[in-house]
Order: sequence, then structure tokens, then C-alpha cells
Amino acid sequence: MNKMSKASQELDPISDMSIAQSSRRDFFRKAVVYSASAVAATSVLSPVKLNATDDPAIVEEAPWGVKLGEPITKNYYGMPSPYEHNNIRRGTPILASGDIYASITMCPIHEQEGIITPNGLFFNRCHGGVAEVDPNEYRLMIHGLVEKPLVLTLDELKRYPSESRIHFIECPANGGPEWRGPQFNKIQFTKGMMSQAEWTGVSLKVLLADVGVKPEAKWMLAEGSDNSEMGRTVPIEKVFDDAMVVWAQNGEALRPEQGYPVRLLLPGWEGNLQIKWLKRLEFSKEPFYAKEETAKYTVLTPSGKAIQHFYPLEVNSIITSPCPEKPWTDLKKGDLVEIQGLAWSGQGTIKAVDISFDGGKNWVEASLKGLVLPKAWTRFSYMYRYEGKPLLLSSRAVDDSGHIQPTIDQEIEAVGIEAVYHRNAICTWEVTKKGEVNNVHIRKS
Amino acid sequence: MFISENRRKTISIALVASVMLFTTASFAKEYIATEVIKNNSNPVFPANKEKGIDGGVVYKVKDNMYTVYAINNQEKKGFKYGRTPTKNEEKAWDVDVMPDGTGLPEGKGSVEQGDELYEEKCSMCHGEFGSGGKGSRSTYPTLSIGEASTDSLTNQRINPDVDGPKRVIGTYWPQASTLFWYIKTAMPFPHPKSLNNDEVYALVAYLLSVNDITIDGQELDDEYVLDRAKFLKIKMPNEDGFIPKIDGPKGAENIKKFLGNPKNYGNGTRCMKNCIDGEPNVVRIKKEIHKYEPPVSVVRDLPKEITSSKEVHPGQKIYETSCAVCHATDAMGAPNVGNKEAWAKKLEKGIDKVYENGIKGINAMPPKGGTSLSDEDFKKAVDYMIDNSK
Ligand code: HEC
Ligand code: HEC
Repeated sequence: MNKMSKASQELDPISDMSIAQSSRRDFFRKAVVYSASAVAATSVLSPVKLNATDDPAIVEEAPWGVKLGEPITKNYYGMPSPYEHNNIRRGTPILASGDIYASITMCPIHEQEGIITPNGLFFNRCHGGVAEVDPNEYRLMIHGLVEKPLVLTLDELKRYPSESRIHFIECPANGGPEWRGPQFNKIQFTKGMMSQAEWTGVSLKVLLADVGVKPEAKWMLAEGSDNSEMGRTVPIEKVFDDAMVVWAQNGEALRPEQGYPVRLLLPGWEGNLQIKWLKRLEFSKEPFYAKEETAKYTVLTPSGKAIQHFYPLEVNSIITSPCPEKPWTDLKKGDLVEIQGLAWSGQGTIKAVDISFDGGKNWVEASLKGLVLPKAWTRFSYMYRYEGKPLLLSSRAVDDSGHIQPTIDQEIEAVGIEAVYHRNAICTWEVTKKGEVNNVHIRKS
Repeated sequence: MFISENRRKTISIALVASVMLFTTASFAKEYIATEVIKNNSNPVFPANKEKGIDGGVVYKVKDNMYTVYAINNQEKKGFKYGRTPTKNEEKAWDVDVMPDGTGLPEGKGSVEQGDELYEEKCSMCHGEFGSGGKGSRSTYPTLSIGEASTDSLTNQRINPDVDGPKRVIGTYWPQASTLFWYIKTAMPFPHPKSLNNDEVYALVAYLLSVNDITIDGQELDDEYVLDRAKFLKIKMPNEDGFIPKIDGPKGAENIKKFLGNPKNYGNGTRCMKNCIDGEPNVVRIKKEIHKYEPPVSVVRDLPKEITSSKEVHPGQKIYETSCAVCHATDAMGAPNVGNKEAWAKKLEKGIDKVYENGIKGINAMPPKGGTSLSDEDFKKAVDYMIDNSK
């Protein structure tokens, strides 16, 4: 092709802008430009003869280094490298509550770096399609048992003082297909119904101070303006603890999939409660009994009774590296490798994560790394010397509220296998001799 | 064989391995699996064990800090943004219906009327009598199951020949108010908020009747007319099927007590050594599900050229929202998209006749597919189907 051999001694560092050298650089630049079309232009550079052990990626000129890149005017809203086209949300028809308008696409957590999910990869669950709300027509109504009912436009809402918080949002059905045994051999499908962002908006405490919620008000209905008119009942305790009405996600307006222009944020609680396309907050003495807190999002136990108003996502963790999509097949015996993953709890802050290599028989404590925030994804890490032997790799998280991630048997003992929601049992990857990774369950023998 | 290999590994895991592989003792130490629990994981915040309604920690503002977030602690009150909603505005939006009848409008409808409406507007997704599973993906919710009762709710599918619990309106929903409210605001799925109160009463009556619900001891036969007064007498069979109790002044307290006890939903123990008697029982995936959309890949390459820069057909969106329900498959006897023969046959009588039949309705095809599309938009959707069936 048009690759040129490199002669680094000919090149001046760009930062060295002495006048004396500039003409020589000009000459060199021209040579490069010509070389793209002319055949003989490489003559100014002394070619390096390629040996078998030389990496052409180093010894030969990279094609992107010998021509102009894209003009800065190409993307006024930046896009990922085209090479990253496989880092995307994915879904499956068998997990829909209807069709492609009442379904979910899951976050590629095997590609997740750090603790902030890029907005385009945030998992997307909706019950009547992704509503396209005109921000100019947007209104938020606060009424019911309040002294002064209120209607705000989007601009008025954004005049309130803002706060930014990093919290995960998780669908309580995350891992739900696994109650009766392992199903998917992909982390994106076993644990991808969650993501994390920095959310910006106003604390409900602040927004409601002037509205004056009456003392007899015990509940708040939050309702969306979308096709499904999604409504959920929120207890007043949460409203005045850490609930927020947010309009931004990772520094920009909410994405339509996350409820543009405004959604409710209830840190640590079921994703379904965090109403998107929020239009109305109504205060009342008694709960509302919406469809999604009765027919759905209730946890049926073996007694025949179902747990309702099961707000928080319990302490949980998952090893993201390795995982089925990112196996250890390239590792050689003796390689030092980082095991890492995500731990989170809707009931507090991650305090510790333990790792087991033998399916939960013995455990060692991993290190937490990076930001350790309340009701937020927290990274854990453990350095491991790979032996090329099969492993059963599990993680177990502990939070500061005293909750410890249960084994599968411990959780099933409490709620049975028809719960659908709120599955937080310990996850295990089977690492085979070859380094492949499979989703398995560890049960009592 | 796998297990014993695994156990051997366990014993050797950090200690033997690190002795063999690490050259200096000090380096090795870092990677040895310490038997003693490290103490580097104190809670980041001074333990404040006040528990909230969700059984979790309640964090307090202290020294202008909320956990690790700095905050502006100046008073934030006295804003004058916004305005008071008018009575009409509140009425327009406040359409929720509560168990005590708050928000339930006047109106009436019979089971028979409901049946007709259901056939026309609901059955293509929810199936005959609410049996569910219709549509191109067969995952639309089931609204009733013949003989099912609340008894089924104790079923646990511990092995393949055990029936699961039946969670439908008649066996699971605690309140009928939910049904009225939900149908009124969210159904029919492609055109929500298009039913008037009488129609909703009729549909509720029909759905209660196919769920074998009685009102005041009376069965809901075809002639039964449901109105507000009768509605308020409905008692759903599974009203008491939910824990904790959330109604009344003790509601929040009950929830706090319930969620404050992790035994109610499963809690682990922090055992570090010999936590399992014998060997772990490894359960593997029996039949892997491969229905990933789009297919899974972690390759970093350039995407294949999008084959043609074909523009999105102007009728595609309309088709997807209004016609796909019936026309994606031939299950309902509709000419399905991609079926060359079926469409060619229709077109024998000329495109204008096809448009006309669609607009006026023919057999199981409701006029304009049950939509209120303009003729122009409807034709675009027809064109889309025809263009994709050549
Ligand atoms: C295009 C298909 C479609 C049509 C037509 C339709 N529905 Fe639905 N229905 C759905 C979907 C999808 C859901 C679930 C939405 C979700 O995920 O929340 C649903 C949910 C429901 C539920 C709640 C079921 C449950 O157990 O949670 C009821 C009740 C219902 N529909 C009634 C109706 C009635 C009455 C009509 C006719 C007036 C109707 N539907 C028309 C697709 C449809
Ligand atoms: C409730 C299900 C349903 C919906 C929704 C529906 N169709 Fe149909 N459609 C049918 C059925 C069934 C037939 C076949 C009728 C027959 O020939 O017996 C049909 C036939 C047709 C035909 C052929 C008419 C002819 O000449 O025989 C056209 C055109 C058509 N539909 C267009 C549409 C369009 C456009 C939409 C969306 C705007 C739509 N349909 C929505 C069920 C439906």
C-alpha cells in the first residue's frame, strides 16, 4: 500500500518550533503529502528493512499518520470511533413485556470502564416506546395535599439550585431470568439492566419547600407523560431524604431514553420507580396502586403472598473481567492479571467485596478502587497470577447497612424461585482450562 | 474430575502459587490471599446507622458535606418560579383512580359492549378472552387464564412438570381501580387515551367477566352493566395477597419494619473459609439462549458498509406503530409484510381498490386498521408494506 518506512532521525519533534528548523520541516511535510499520491516520494526517508520480528505497526508508517485526518467540522456532536461499533446496547425478544415498544436493551457492562456509563450506552427500558417530548411544551405539575399547587416550565424548573450526584439505576428484573437456573452465557444479558451516571437536578426537598406538603400527606404519585403514563407511588420519607428531579445526565440534557427532559431520581431504588418524562407529582394520604406496583414489580414468595413496595436494590456485585464476553483465552500460565468488577447497593455504600476462586468455599477480600460513593457502582480489584487451571470465580459484596450478598440458596430460601424481581444472589463464572468463561450457578449439593 | 482439580487449586491458590511465581517475598505479600480479613475497608463515612424506610442507611448533611459531596448549605426557600395550575388543568391531568374510588368518573358499559370493543381494539395483542401471547413476538401480556385461581400463587416451578403461579387480573391484581386507571391512560397500546369513560367501563366489565370475578355475589353475564356504584363494590380475590400492608396510618411503618429485616428477602453471611460442606454443586446452562439483538461481538473493526443508503420509507414508522401488530405475521389472516404472493394477489384488483379496502375495512381488517390516520398517511403505510413484499 502507501505505507512508508519510518526514519525517525529525520523527524523533528513538533513542539520544537525553532525558525532554523521550520524550512526543513516544510520540506518534510511536502514530501509526506506528495507521497500519498506519488510513488517515488519515499526517497527523502531512509527505509528500514523489515525483519521478521519487527512489528509492521511500528516499523511502517501508520496510514492515519501520513494523511490529513477528518476536518474538525465533521462531527459537531462527537461520535465514538467507528471501530467501537460493537460496543452497543443489546436486547432479546424473549425479555419483552410486549414488543419493541415495551422492552429493554441492556448495557454492555463488559466494555464498561470506570463507573460512568456513556449516555448512548445507558440501558433502556420503556413500557410504551421512547417518548419524544418537546421541551417547550414541557410542564411539571405538583399538586394534591400541598399548600400551594405549582406548575413549572422547564426553564423555571432549571432555575432552582442544582446538585449533581452519581448513582446507578438498575431494573429490578436485572438477573431475573436466572431464578430457575443459568440462562444466558453473556454478562450483558445476565447483569446489563443497569447503568450509572452523574445526574443533575434539584433536590425534591428544595423544590417542595415553597409548595408546602401538608402533614397528612404520606405518599407521592409520580407520573410520566409517555404512552404508558407510567405512575408509581413513592413514600414521603424518600421524598424528603435524597429524591431529586433531574434534567441532566453526565453533563448534558437527559437522553430521551432516560426521560428527556425531566425524570425522577430515587437513589438506590428500583429503576421503574424513577419515572421518566415526568409530568406530575401528586401528594396523598393513601397509596395509589398503579399497575407497575401491583400487577408487576411485586415479588411473589412461596407462601403465595407477594412483596409489594420493595423499593431498594439490595447489595450486589459482578465480576466484569473476566466474563463470558471477555475471557482469559489469551492468557498464559504465570501471567499476572487483574480481576475486576462492579459492586453496588441501593441500601448504602459498598464496604467490602470478597472473591472466591472455588465457587464460594473459600474467600479472600478484594480491594475497592476509585470513588466509593453511596448507592453507586463501586469498582473492586484483585491481582491474580493465572495458573491455567479451571476456576469457579465468584464475588460477594457487603454494604455499610449490614447487608451481605446472599448465596443462591440463601436467597431462594427467603423468596423462592417465582420472584421475578430483586435477584441479588452471588454470581459465579466458570473459567475453563482454556480460559473460556461460562455463567454457572453454585447450589448446595 | 473438574471439582477435585478445582479443590487442589483452591488450596494452592495464592500461597503455593505465589511462592513459586514471585521472586521476592515482599512483592509476593501483596498478592497473597490473606486469611485475615484486611481492615482497609472501613465505611467511608462515619457509621451513621439510622435506617430509612428501605432498610438502608440514611446519610445526613454534616459540615456542609453530604457523604463525600460538598454542598451549599445556604437556605434555599422563597422561590417564586412557576404559577398555580387552574382547576381545569388539574382536572385534565389528575385522572388516576384510587382504590377508594377517588378519581373514578361516572359512566357505564356492559360486558357485551366490552366484548365487542375488546375484539376490535385489544384481541389482536391480548388474544381471545385475554389469553395473551399474540403479535409478532408473542409476548403480549395474558389478561386471563381460564380456570386459574389465587391457589396457583403458591406454585413454584422447581421442576419442569410443575405449573407456575398464574399472575393475571383475576388471580393477582389487588384492586380493580388499577384496571380502570391503566386502560384509560395506557391502552390500547398503539393509541392510548383514546377510550371514553363508558368504553373503559365496558372493557373493565368484560375483563372482569372473563376473569370470573363476581360483584356483590353476582356473575358478570353479557347483559351485566357496570357503573360507578357497582364498581365500588368490587373486591378482588387477591386483595390480601400482598405484604407488607401499606394502607392506613401504619403503612410506612410496616414497610420500614419489613425492609429493615433482610431475612424477609435473603441475606448472606460473611464466611471466609470452608464455607461449603463438601463440593460446590455446579449447575450449568442447559440450553443456551442465543437470541441476541444485535448479535454479540467484541471485535474492534470497521463496520460493514451499510449496504445501500436507502432512505427510511415514509410509511415505515406508521406501519410499525399501527399495522405491524397484525401485518407482521399471517397469524391473523392479514397479508404479512414480505409475503410476495399474498400482496400480488391483493394487487390484482389494482392499487386503488387495495387502498379503498384498507380505508373502509374488510373482514378482520378494521377501517384504516383501527387508526384515525389521514388517507395520505394510511396509503404511505400500505405502500411500505407493498414495497417490502416485492
Ligand atoms: C399493540 C398491542 C396491544 C393492544 C392493541 C392492546 N394492548 Fe394492552 N398491553 C400491551 C402491552 C405491550 C402491554 C404491557 C405494557 C408494559 O410493558 O407495561 C399491555 C398491558 C395491558 C394490561 C396490563 C396487563 C398486565 O398484566 O400487566 C391490560 C389490562 C391491557 N393491556 C388491556 C388492554 C385493553 C383493554 C386493550 C384494548 C382497549 C389493549 N390492552 C390493547 C399491548 C397491547
Ligand atoms: C387488527 C388487525 C389489523 C390491523 C391493526 C391492520 N390490519 Fe390491515 N388487514 C388485517 C387483516 C386481517 C387483513 C385481511 C383482510 C381480508 O382480506 O380478509 C388486512 C388487510 C389489509 C389490506 C388489504 C386490503 C385488501 O385489498 O384486501 C391492506 C391494504 C391493509 N390491511 C392495510 C393496513 C394498514 C396500512 C394498516 C395500518 C395503518 C393495517 N392494515 C392495520 C388486519 C389488520
